[in-house]
Amino acid sequence: MTDVVRTGFRPSRIAIYGVLLLACLVYLIPLIIMLITSFKTPLDIRTGNLLALPTDWTVVGWTKAWSEACTGVQCNGVSGYFWNSFKMTVPAVLISTLLGAFNGYVLSKWKFKGSDLLFGMLLFGCFVPFQVVLLPMAATLGKLGLANTTTGLVLVHVIYGVAFTTLFFRNYYVAIPDALIKAARLDGAGFFTIFFRILLPLSTPIFMVSLIWQFTQIWNDFLFGVVFASGDSQPITVALNNLVNTSTGVKEYNVDMAAAMIAALPTLVVYIVAGKYFIRGLTAGSVKG
Amino acid sequence: MAQLELRDIRKTYAGALDETLKGINIDIASGEFLTLVGPSGCGKSTLMNSIAGLETITGGSIVVDGEDISGMEPKDRDIAMVFQSYALYPTMSVRENIAFGLKIRGMPKEEVRQEVERVADLLQISPLLDKKPSRLSGGQQQRVAMGRALARRPKIYLFDEPLSNLDAKLRVEMRTEIKKLHQRLRTTIVYVTHDQIEAMTLADRIAVLRDGELQQLGTPKEVYDTPENLFVASFMGSPSMSFIEVAIDRSDTGLSVTLEGSDGRRLALPVPAYLENWVGKRVVLGIRPEHISQPDEQKRDNPMVEEGRFTVEVTEPTGPDVIAVIRLNGIDVQCRLDAEHPVEWGEEAELMFDMRKVVFFDPESEKRIRPQ
Ligand SMILES: Nc1ncnc2c1ncn2[C@@H]1O[C@H](COP(=O)(O)OP(=O)(O)O)[C@@H](O)[C@H]1O
Ligand SMILES: [Mg+2]
Repeated sequence: MTDVVRTGFRPSRIAIYGVLLLACLVYLIPLIIMLITSFKTPLDIRTGNLLALPTDWTVVGWTKAWSEACTGVQCNGVSGYFWNSFKMTVPAVLISTLLGAFNGYVLSKWKFKGSDLLFGMLLFGCFVPFQVVLLPMAATLGKLGLANTTTGLVLVHVIYGVAFTTLFFRNYYVAIPDALIKAARLDGAGFFTIFFRILLPLSTPIFMVSLIWQFTQIWNDFLFGVVFASGDSQPITVALNNLVNTSTGVKEYNVDMAAAMIAALPTLVVYIVAGKYFIRGLTAGSVKG
Repeated sequence: MAQLELRDIRKTYAGALDETLKGINIDIASGEFLTLVGPSGCGKSTLMNSIAGLETITGGSIVVDGEDISGMEPKDRDIAMVFQSYALYPTMSVRENIAFGLKIRGMPKEEVRQEVERVADLLQISPLLDKKPSRLSGGQQQRVAMGRALARRPKIYLFDEPLSNLDAKLRVEMRTEIKKLHQRLRTTIVYVTHDQIEAMTLADRIAVLRDGELQQLGTPKEVYDTPENLFVASFMGSPSMSFIEVAIDRSDTGLSVTLEGSDGRRLALPVPAYLENWVGKRVVLGIRPEHISQPDEQKRDNPMVEEGRFTVEVTEPTGPDVIAVIRLNGIDVQCRLDAEHPVEWGEEAELMFDMRKVVFFDPESEKRIRPQ
């Protein structure tokens, strides 16, 4: 009996792994199709099976997507837009995360009259649909002179992201014992010293959560990009859409797929590099004092 | 070292309906060890946080060496505090934990190093200096927390239940060490505990708190022997004092009360003459376990000592003593008997009542009836 238990090859086990494997496959198939298609020649795509490996491996799709494909009237590939996205995402992620950390610190450790109400209203920001803010935001950006600029997009994403990042950090800091703050105050530490010397060093897991979440949200955003940016300042998501919709003769699926892969790569990399922190941050309980 | 005066301290938390501290008055002499004791939620931590400046008081004033510090920031008060949870900075080493406050106050590097070493020697934590708090045992963390408080040589030390998270054995060890430390350094200490034994053993004076009101302030002996009211009497001492409602009678030999055992046998006990005004009225007799013991030849001639036979209901050996429970006037009463002369439960035992130290309370006001 015990031997059977130890080997673990009972039918129920096999069933469980089978189901898990199947689920994995279902999730991965689109990615696999995109990847293999991006390395195929147009001829291969037209004649071959969707799931078949390329007969001739080629990176033509990738180079074309990067520097030659037409996104509307211009035909310089997506490279410029790729960097646009970086110029928008990196500052927006960093600023919104730092602001969130700071807000979370104040809302959990320096409560003031009405701070809980303020937090409640901030949470509301998480549920406001993008569409609702489009027009007022456009007007505001216009007034600020930031219409159609990357700076404007950064501003929009920071404002929208702060609700989420504040929620992350506030809930993380609430679990950190107040006695830590009290001890630091008695040691003579002020508001900023406590934040930078005591709380920030404890915040790595939640920083990772906030960075990944914000990076994914902002990099993948399409709506704000298409509304608040135009021409040269557009992010890659908008460029990808333009590329796919620009019809000049035969549809080049390999180029489309390569461009889509390029657009998706940074978020993939972020997940692979920092994913373990994401899980750890989400499951992190209170910090042992 | 400093003198601390709490003058009519009041505190109502924002949004709270009731006052948490209802006018606390305590004068603490320079170098005194004051323990603040009371049940959970009575406002002990609130009072400590108020003294430290972590909470603003809503009334009264806190005076240190003649200077009113009520409005000052915590960092300007020169007061250190040890927390129940230790509150060590998790990302810093022990050395950094102790040095943190010194560095912030701009102490030169070399002096910081010396001070950390002095404190580490004092508390025997030198080998731990480079470890992170999470690598330390509870007792070691506790020492580090004390070290951090000692490092600045502040005027006043506040301890908020510093030993509550330790196991029983370690708690007793640390208790002795804190007492030694105080005897050596002679600093002013306010020490909060809900453990009345800790309060008794450490204190020069004890302040008993209940629902934000000071019940009694006095030496451990005063609080133990002459509790001001029923609450203090029941809170201090373990096993606690037994309370029996009795009527005061007059007889030829003086005043007395009559107790009835579970078998209906009665025993008249002498009571002090100051109860003269209470003859014919009911009072609450407060009797501690050690007031009822096995017969002792030397005490027998004392007029305030009486003997009687009672049935032992339960025995609880504690090691040096046996706590025996008898029923008097329908109430379980604990007696502290010598473990060398065992009594069995269910059997009768000859017991000696020493009425010299028993106390009496007014059943209405619950206050102790004082000798005139
Ligand atoms: N920050 C706070 N806000 C509101 N009420 C509080 C706060 N801290 C403590 N209290 C209340 O004040 C009372 C006394 O608490 P505390 O001083 O912590 O008691 P103790 O330390 O004696 O156990 C309790 O009823 C508690 O609920
Ligand atoms: Mg407390």
